[in-house]
Order: sequence, then C-alpha cells, then structure tokens
Amino acid sequence: MEATPELGRIRRGGRSARRVLRQTPRAAPAVGLKRSIPTYELLSDEGLTQIEEAADTILQEIGMEFRGDPEVLEIWRQAGADVKGERVRFERGMLRKIIQATAPGEFVQHARNPERSVTFGGDNIVFAPAMLLPSVRDLDQGRRSASLEDLIKLIKLTYVSPWMHHSAGAICEPVDLPVTKRHLDIVYNQIRHTDKPFMGATTTGARAEDSLAQVRILFGDEFVDNNCVLINIINVNSPLVFDSTMGEALKVYARANQATIITPFILGGAMGPVTMAGAVAQTLAEAMPGIALTQLIRPGCPVIFGTITSSLSLRTGTPTYGTPEPALGYLATGQLARRLGVPLRGNGSLTSSKVADYQDGQESADTLMPSVLAGVNLVLHSAGRSEGGLCLNYEKFVLDMEHVGMMHTLVRGMALDDNGFALDAFREVEPGKNFFVCKHTLANYETAFHESELADHRTVEDWTEAGSPDAAQRANAKMKSMLEEYEAPPLDPALDEELMAFMEKRKTQLPDTLT
Amino acid sequence: MADDDIDLQALNDEDLVAQMHDDLYDGLKDEIEEGVRILLERGWESYDILTKALVEGMRIVGIDFREGILFVPEVLMSANAMKGGMAILRPLLAESNAPPMGKMVIGTVKGDIHDIGKNLVAMMMEGAGFEVIDIGINIPAEDYLAALEEHQPDILGMSALLTTTMPYMKVVIDTLQEKGVRSDYVVLVGGAPLNEAFAESVGADAYCRDAATTVEIAKEFMARRQGSAESRIREKVG
Repeated sequence: MEATPELGRIRRGGRSARRVLRQTPRAAPAVGLKRSIPTYELLSDEGLTQIEEAADTILQEIGMEFRGDPEVLEIWRQAGADVKGERVRFERGMLRKIIQATAPGEFVQHARNPERSVTFGGDNIVFAPAMLLPSVRDLDQGRRSASLEDLIKLIKLTYVSPWMHHSAGAICEPVDLPVTKRHLDIVYNQIRHTDKPFMGATTTGARAEDSLAQVRILFGDEFVDNNCVLINIINVNSPLVFDSTMGEALKVYARANQATIITPFILGGAMGPVTMAGAVAQTLAEAMPGIALTQLIRPGCPVIFGTITSSLSLRTGTPTYGTPEPALGYLATGQLARRLGVPLRGNGSLTSSKVADYQDGQESADTLMPSVLAGVNLVLHSAGRSEGGLCLNYEKFVLDMEHVGMMHTLVRGMALDDNGFALDAFREVEPGKNFFVCKHTLANYETAFHESELADHRTVEDWTEAGSPDAAQRANAKMKSMLEEYEAPPLDPALDEELMAFMEKRKTQLPDTLT
Repeated sequence: MADDDIDLQALNDEDLVAQMHDDLYDGLKDEIEEGVRILLERGWESYDILTKALVEGMRIVGIDFREGILFVPEVLMSANAMKGGMAILRPLLAESNAPPMGKMVIGTVKGDIHDIGKNLVAMMMEGAGFEVIDIGINIPAEDYLAALEEHQPDILGMSALLTTTMPYMKVVIDTLQEKGVRSDYVVLVGGAPLNEAFAESVGADAYCRDAATTVEIAKEFMARRQGSAESRIREKVG
C-alpha cells in the first residue's frame, strides 16, 4: 500500500473518503507469496544423510506393495526394481536418481485468471484451505453433514480471502450428492465460483478423467497438455502400500502432464513408528516411489512431495495434532524435500478440537508455524480443519485465514533499509516524547503492523458493551460479511454452458449409486 | 521380575482366578493359557472359566482403558492373551449348553482398503470373547453374503474410512434385504466419517464410534438376541 507522506498537508476528502478507504476489503494479492526469511534447518547434513539412508534401507529391505496394478509392476520391472508378486524393492539411491533426472524443482499451476496462477517450489508459499471434510459446524446451525451449499459457501469465502492463494478441492465433501457424480459438481463449482487454482478428483481413474475433461473445456486441450492446471492428492496407504485407486489416478494425471501430490499419511503408532526419525524416514521412503513413478510415466511432469505425519493418542487410538513431535518432523521433512529437489506440501491449521477454542488455536499455530518455517511450498488445510479432519468449522475457517494473513508478514522478514532503521525518527523525537506523529510514523502507520480484523484489543468496558463477543462470535459475523462481499469472478457464459452440458451429460451416463 | 516365579499350579482356585485377572491385565498369553488348562484339569466348567476368569478380567481391562489408565498397545496385548484362552475354551463351549458369546463377520467395504480401525475392532471383539471372522478389505456385497452364509454369525460389521466408500454399506444392507436375511443379523457400522444419522439412513442397527464402544454395543445386542431366543423357546415350551 502507498505510504501517506502528505498527511496533514493536503485534503484527502474528509470523512466520506476515509470511511470508504478504511472499510474497503484489502484486495487479494495477485500472486502467491515468496519467503524472504530462511528456512529452519533442524538437522545437520549428517543427520539428513542418516534419514535418507534409513529410507533407502526401508525401500531396499522391506520395499513397498503396489496392490492390484499389473501395469505399475511392469513399469517398475522395466525400471530395474526387484518385483516379487506385488512387493517392489528398490536399490539404494535408484529412486532419487530417477526423480532428480527429470522432476521439476519449480512449476506453475495456472488459474483461469492468469493473475491468480501460483508457483510451487523454491521460496514460494501457497496457502490453501482444508479439504474433504464430511461434516460442517457453525454457531448458527451447529454440526451437520456437509452439502453442496456448504462447499459453494466455502469456495466463496476462500475466494474473498486475500490470504488464500489456492481453492483446494472439495473443501467440504458434498455428501448430499451421489458419490458417483459429486466429483463433477466439485470441479464445476470450483470453476464457477472462483478464479483461483484448484484440485481434481482422485478417487477413481475415471473420475480423474472427468476432472481433466472439465479443465480441457476451460483451458483448451493443447494448453492442458503443456501446462499444469490441476494438482491432485495421491495418498500412500501407509505403511508401505500403494493401492490401485491411487495408482490409477496418478497414471491419469501424470500422462496428462498434471501434478500429483504424493502424500504418505502417517500417524505414529498406527501407520508408522512412534519415533519421529523413523516416521520421517518412512515419509521419504513412501513418497519417493510415487514421485519416481510419475517421472517414469511422463518424464518432467510436475509433482509435489506431500506429508501429513502426526501423532496419535496411544491411550485412545485417536489422531492428535499440533503436538511437538510432528513439528520437528515437518522441519526435517522440509530439509529432505529441498535435498530431493521437489516442491513440498505440508499442512496448516490441524487440530482435534471441535470448536474454535484455545486447543484449536494452540494446535493450529503449532502446525502452521513449523510448516512455514520448514519451507513448505503448499500449505494445505491451512483453514477450517477441525476434529482431526472430520468437520469443517466455519468460525475456525475465518480465524485461520486471519492467522495465515499474519504468516504473510512473517515470511517477508525484517527490512534493514533506512526506513526500517528509522534513525530520522529518533532525531525528530526528543527523549521522553512519543512517536505517534513523527514523520516516520505518519509515513508508515497504515501498514506498519499486521492488523488483525478479528482479535479483540478493546478495553474490557467497550468489549462488555459490545456484548462480550468471543473469537468465534466475531468470526461468525466476519464470515457473514465476507459472503455478502462476494462477487463472482466473470465466467464466459458460453464456456459455462459448455461446462454445464458436459456435467449433465456425464451425470446421465453414471449410475446414481455405488454398485 | 519376582512375579515371573509364581507357580500357578500352587495357587488355590480363588487366588488363581485373581492372578489370571492380573495376567490378562498384563497381557500374558502363555500364562492365561496355562491358567485355563489348570482350571480345566481341576474340573471347572468351560463356561465358568470364560465368565469368571477371562470375561471378568477383560471387564477390568475395559474399565481402565476407558478411564485412560491403559494405553492401546496394552489393551491389545490383553486382548491377545484373552484370545489365547478362548482358543482353548471355544471347542469345549461349543459342546456345552453355555450361551454363545457371539460371532462376528467383519470387513471393510468395496473400494476401501483402510483397515487399521477395523482390525482394532476385531482385536477388541476377540478380547471380549467374541469369535471374529475378519474377511479383509475391499469387500463386495456378494462376498459379505457368502461369508454370512458360511459362518452364520450373529453380527455383521462393516467399516469405511472414506466418504466416497461409506455409501456402499447401503448396497450391502439392501442386498441383505433383497435376500430376505437382513433380520438374521445385527449389522454394526463404523469408520471415521460415519455418524448415527448415517447408520440409520443405510439401515444399520447401530453406529459404533470406536472399538471399545463396538464391544459394548455388540454385548448389548447379544443379550437382546439371547433374550429373544430364550423367550421364543419359552413360547414354544409354554
């Protein structure tokens, strides 16, 4: 934002102009965010080498199972892996070599609005909201099954937020629609209600093909073949299993030159060991075969190393988030991804809490901050994910986006220029006086500090008079104003018609229920 | 440990049963098997061993699990010890007139290969004395039906982790309806994205939110089934 050096010297339109200025929402940043602060290097080179060697040992001795997919087994055989039945073992260093030969270290995902395209890799950070949550909760209606209406609301809130660069996929799962068809509605509504980039379906190969067909209508066949317009989550079924559903979707997207996010999901004690060095080695061991597979299918196609490694309550068996151990894991995984040379997907605001309370804030913060410091390039689940991934909490969604906004300032680091040191201000302000109206403050005050729109800093008297609203209540009001503020980005009506026609046609071809 | 030196043979019945409660708590499979054999040698009815030594021991384990004193790995070790004792007793129980503990066929639905939760349920159910036939993952309706036909269980358990696979539970239950066998089984469903309303909408008997709850619900249904079986018998006799 422009500084205002002429303050107090020129007319600025008085009250009416200032009110408009101050009440106009901050415009969304046109492009993604680039970090100017260093990443946190938790482990020494020696420590990282130890983890890589442990991963190589897992891959060489135990190997991975690729279930129900003879084609993938054949690809591995031809690449020189040791294939026995569905178990595939890899020579030490083999996968790293395949990956480093062709996997891009940085790539662009194109949005339908070119100004919203994002870059993954390097110093870039892309924030995206939660996804796939089957229930939703807000203060007005409580907890309920997620619907298409909720998904559309969440796409709109994500669009309005200046801090979300990416719209994810099914932010909540519209469980009111038939499973066999809902993937079409998810992608259509992402195209319709936002111009930020989004994700495709991965729950079957055929659904992935449908997502591709939809983006081909939007971008054109040739553009899609040459550019990444979809990123797509491929989960490893930890420990050490790759199933045919994920394999099919991976093949569809890799062949189409679209990005996959190869993500082991490890909860220590259940899907992996209870110690972080082992869990991080497993993360690397499970991600590398998937990443390498994309390169064997289409060398050079974009791919992201994903991680969602967390802890477990070993007294109840339920997942726990925001604990200190996974924070260390994220930092180490960031280092490993940089050594491998591919972009990293991590996680933002994870929590087991049901409501927007202290537990939520603590667990989310202790996931978001280490992820940012770890050098994560795609911070998925950075807003709204509560109950360990089972419920989208609307108030949390809004509070988290605010928190992510603060990360934008953090990663820009500390300016060490003349303005940053403000020595003229010291010269102007006499000892014992204040800085409120010195020239330097007047030139900087509007943007000097990140201004939270949701935190309450009033006196207790003012706060009480306002009805003593807590953070969730303030967020609830903000959510409603954001939805009022929403204006759909323009979409060519002819294109919209074509997208609708495709969706309707496919819906008549697909069965209503699972068979 | 000094406790390793305990000679189970040397204990009187009361002390042996108390020791077996402790050994179940500590997850000692060999010791439980030995205790079961000693009680059989002493002429105990298999049903008494089951209820007084094993089920009672696991009831205590269950309480401490719910209270957060025990960890999941400890409870699974206890369940495994219980399973060892049950393996010895099951054929004897079958020969006796003892009311059955209950049998369950369990599997993860078609399209879904996530089975950690389902396996936990199977282990906990075995730990409570149920006979569990785990038919695995990615199970189509016809395989559920074949397993029900073959094993004649009291309970069918289905699990799913994904929102995209959980509706398949309805396919299975509808198939049971079509074949006219739905009321022959108690159908329990579970998995992270499920809830009470979903279970009701697909026509299941109950939603089981976690492994420990599954055991409690299964026991309740077994009691009801036995109650109704007994009342049917009484009706016939009367």
